[in-house]
Amino acid sequence: MIKRIYDFLASLSLGLWLMGGVMVLLAAGSFGGEDTASLNEMPLFAWLGAAPFSASWWLWGTLVLLTLMAVNTLLCSVEAIRKRYGKSGLLALLAPQLMHAGFLLIVLAHLLSAKGGEKQAMQLFEGSNLRFAGGSFVMVDAIEVETDPRGMPVDYRARMRVVEQGRSTPVTVRPNEPLFHEGIGIYLKQAAPFPFPTAYVEIHREPGAGWALAGALLFTAGNVMLLAVRRERRTA
Amino acid sequence: MKWLLILSAGLYLFGAFSRPFFAAGLAAGAAYLAVRGIELGRLPLVGPHDTLVFFSVSIGLMALPFLFSPVLRQLSLFSWGMGCAAAFFGLMALLFPAFAMPLPPVLRTLWFELHVALAFFSYALFAIGAVLGGIFLAGGERRILDLQYRAALVGYTFFSASMVSGGIWGYFAWGTYWLWTPKEFWTSILWMFYTFWLHLRLRGTGGDKALAWSGIVGFAVALFTYLGVSILMKSSHSF
Repeated sequence: MIKRIYDFLASLSLGLWLMGGVMVLLAAGSFGGEDTASLNEMPLFAWLGAAPFSASWWLWGTLVLLTLMAVNTLLCSVEAIRKRYGKSGLLALLAPQLMHAGFLLIVLAHLLSAKGGEKQAMQLFEGSNLRFAGGSFVMVDAIEVETDPRGMPVDYRARMRVVEQGRSTPVTVRPNEPLFHEGIGIYLKQAAPFPFPTAYVEIHREPGAGWALAGALLFTAGNVMLLAVRRERRTA
Repeated sequence: MKWLLILSAGLYLFGAFSRPFFAAGLAAGAAYLAVRGIELGRLPLVGPHDTLVFFSVSIGLMALPFLFSPVLRQLSLFSWGMGCAAAFFGLMALLFPAFAMPLPPVLRTLWFELHVALAFFSYALFAIGAVLGGIFLAGGERRILDLQYRAALVGYTFFSASMVSGGIWGYFAWGTYWLWTPKEFWTSILWMFYTFWLHLRLRGTGGDKALAWSGIVGFAVALFTYLGVSILMKSSHSF
């Protein structure tokens, strides 16, 4: 009985059905409109707790299928290594497993962010500051906005200082160049020069980011190895 | 300089049977893209006009090595198919105005350029997979499907790398590597579809027609992800 369950969970057929199911559910979710858009305003698990089932059914379904897919991926890798170890080249054996491992780390990253992610939007002005739990704070010294001849903002930045244990470190925050401090990212989203310089800032905590990057690197390494293996087979 | 784009489409449509004409069509499209790039001072990758031209050039660029494959060398149907696809998207670009707006600061990063360029290279390879699928279904030999697999695998690699660079860009730009928008949904569906297709092959031979059809369906999903979502749905990614 246990063997039959194991074989079922490790089977390629189950993996294919799960992928098909996730595609259908995500397609359904993509038509969710405003309900789905509100997912970006809070961590996923908080949203799932607050949203009515009529709006979140597709996401519950996706989570169930993804959980099964994570088990299926893990068992497929275990079986592949068990059956093919010593029989095929190391690259050919490792490449798909690295891709599987990368996928699993990315799923883990989403779980961590779904549980512990935070987001907050605020306005900062010259002279205002952001205080952190450890006693340090970030001070806004200047907000600079460059405009084109029509008055449209073309670039903007906030000159800040991180003050920690009596030491002051100057830093410039721009679009694509956030400030990371005590596990929090400070992002400059927009700035306005009038009526007085204002920075529209978002504060993010994304605990899964490092895991997602590690997963992406593993996946990419496995993917490139797979290409190399296939190329060797072609030229052989 | 739009005559370069029209010349490119003409060369593809009326000369794709010959590799030099196909290459000339690609050169004309690339020249138009280069002129746009010099005019804008950056890679032209924003808005329907520029992205459609980039897509057209990507199709020509990615198809070129396939034209030299021993399997396809004598098969004019492939070069015609790819020529028509490249011409179609090049001409479609003419329906949209070529804007010269300054780039928003959040788009001024290598991660964005990498993300978009890799996505279009992968879409182009998926288009090649669809044409090869069609040729197989029209009575082509089994080796056509092997080429289709190679196109899909390289396309999948580019697409995965595009998602990775997009995630890195998103993290530095918006504080998160993932947003719940229709574009992200369909990007995930497209990635999942090709994951599904590459796994489908592991079941062995026997489902050749299903694989050929899947290549065509995959490209339809790619087109919806690129054009359908941008035109029909509200998303943070508009082209």
